[in-house]
Amino acid sequence: MSILVANGLTQWFGSEVALEAIDLAIDSGEHMAVLGENGAGKTTLLRILATAARPTSGGLEIMGLDALRERKRLRRRIGFVAHAPGLYPALSAKENLEFFSTLQGVPRERVAETLALVGLSQVARRPAGQLSRGMQQRLAIGRAILHDPKLLVLDEPDASLGSDAAELLEAVMHDRTVVLATHDHALANRLCRRTLVLRHGRSVGTATRLHIVQ
Amino acid sequence: MTNSIAIALAVARKDLTAEWRTRELVPALAQFVVLALIIANFGFQIDARNAPSIAPGVLWMALVFAGLVAFGRAFAAEREQASLEAMLMTPASPVAIFAGKALAATLLLIGCEAVLLPALALFFGTPLSAAIVSAVLLATIGMAALGCLFSAMVARIRARELLLPLLTLPLWIPFIVAGGQAVQVAMGATGNYDQALALLVDFDILFVVLTSLAARFVLDE
Amino acid sequence: MNRYEKGAAAAVGLMALAAGAIFLFAPTDALQGPVQRIFYLHVSSAIAAYGCFAVVLLGGIIYLRNGSLAADRLARAGALVGLVFTTVTLVMGMLWAKPIWGTFWAWDARLTSTLVLWIIYAGYLLVRRLAEPGRQAARFAAVVGIFGFIDVPIVHFSVTWWRTQHPGPIIVNDALPGEMLATFLFTMACTLALATAMIAIRYRIETLADGPVPAVAEKATAVTTGQREPVK
Repeated sequence: MSILVANGLTQWFGSEVALEAIDLAIDSGEHMAVLGENGAGKTTLLRILATAARPTSGGLEIMGLDALRERKRLRRRIGFVAHAPGLYPALSAKENLEFFSTLQGVPRERVAETLALVGLSQVARRPAGQLSRGMQQRLAIGRAILHDPKLLVLDEPDASLGSDAAELLEAVMHDRTVVLATHDHALANRLCRRTLVLRHGRSVGTATRLHIVQ
Repeated sequence: MTNSIAIALAVARKDLTAEWRTRELVPALAQFVVLALIIANFGFQIDARNAPSIAPGVLWMALVFAGLVAFGRAFAAEREQASLEAMLMTPASPVAIFAGKALAATLLLIGCEAVLLPALALFFGTPLSAAIVSAVLLATIGMAALGCLFSAMVARIRARELLLPLLTLPLWIPFIVAGGQAVQVAMGATGNYDQALALLVDFDILFVVLTSLAARFVLDE
Repeated sequence: MNRYEKGAAAAVGLMALAAGAIFLFAPTDALQGPVQRIFYLHVSSAIAAYGCFAVVLLGGIIYLRNGSLAADRLARAGALVGLVFTTVTLVMGMLWAKPIWGTFWAWDARLTSTLVLWIIYAGYLLVRRLAEPGRQAARFAAVVGIFGFIDVPIVHFSVTWWRTQHPGPIIVNDALPGEMLATFLFTMACTLALATAMIAIRYRIETLADGPVPAVAEKATAVTTGQREPVK
């Protein structure tokens, strides 16, 4: 059963076309990877799927709701890790998550659970600005799953993570529908059943793991 | 509704905590206003006779420039952009987030005023009365709402140092006119203080309501 | 000639008629002399400028309500034409002030609020140019336009109030004898016609400049998904 259906998603920035007529259907619980060069439109697409941005034209339905009109309702069930971590450097890892738990309306207990899940329990009290790039990325990922979303949209989450990226992402992606943008074909293969390839804003096709050629 | 208030307070507390730990903004603002007073002293040839007529102008000039910095900072840093989006992705309403940031910026500017007003009284020999403080505080509220709204807007655009004053100052003029008059009268000039204060309150109400309504168009896509 | 050219020619023709009325029909003012004739175009220009801003306001409000691209275009056209008329108003005001008040500028309510109007227009157009073209530029500009429209009368009122505390240049009596009034009303009508023509032409230019942009997403058709239960 499709949890996300996109129809002709198009994004213009002024007179420049960033995305052209993307069609997409993702089933509940499915993990889909989005591959493409820099500038192919991965971030643009992911932002639209996460309801962080509106397309210039096209339709998007998520969990049975019109994603263009019901953004507030849908955002409770969507987690988004953007390109930039967007954390508060002066606040500790724990305080960052506590702040967002207030905004999300989730109980404080989730903070400790989430820190444990992303492996940051040891550095919970360290200011986020003093964490390594990889730890900051983990924190950003933790923030995205704080409210236990059904749909998780990850924009190059592996970019700063180390060699254990795959394990962490597997744990985080477990039991959720995921759209994941990455440059790493091997990681995409390992984590995701299907892949969408973008080039110059257009879909070059979707493929299952077996058909990806390096 | 109570949830929105809790969110606004959480946002304000987050901003104030961050400022407390880094101590970047308030010391810089305090230093700026003291410097402005010193320059004014040499630039204007202040003496006991003309001090009450020059001091209000110096006060508002210093306040306007400090305000532009303080409110500009509320949304400025590029990091804030990604984190602003993260806040908007939560169920928190944009108005609550805006209110929290405006509240924090107001309190930080008041921190600066706590240095400016005594320094003004000290250097220029003008009184420091509740009347003056009230006028300044009332004006700060409305100026903060407007400053933060346009700060949120220009944070997403280039040339923000040019745009923020250009957009904000026309809207601050009523506050400067009424506030300036109130301070002048409080320092001994002729005029109607109560009228000036009533005007400030009216402007505050009008612009706080308007900026709250406009917040969601400026913050969210 | 297409209809835009015809409209422009008609507007110019009307302005020529107005000029004739101003210089040939209206009597010379006893107090101020020939300089007073600036008044007809100066005030007409000011009214046209505020009128254009009302167009900007309306376009902005409609755009924020339903994302209508036509409303945004109208606002754009109104802003550009309004800036022109505001500049004309300011310049004429200064030319009139010098012989009458002895100075090019005075901080009275009218000049101040016209200056503020000019600054707000400039800010509006800059925001349009610098923001992300399309939805963001339209949205931000609409907010600037709405705040600006409300601000101008408030500034006017504030300065008027301030002037009661600090009397300034002598306010000129605006009561007009019959022929002057007729000239003024005629000039104002011609100026408004000119402003309308200019906005219409500018709107057309903006439409052509926008090009074949796909419909704004707020009006995107819903996706038909057939049998589907919403996920709880």
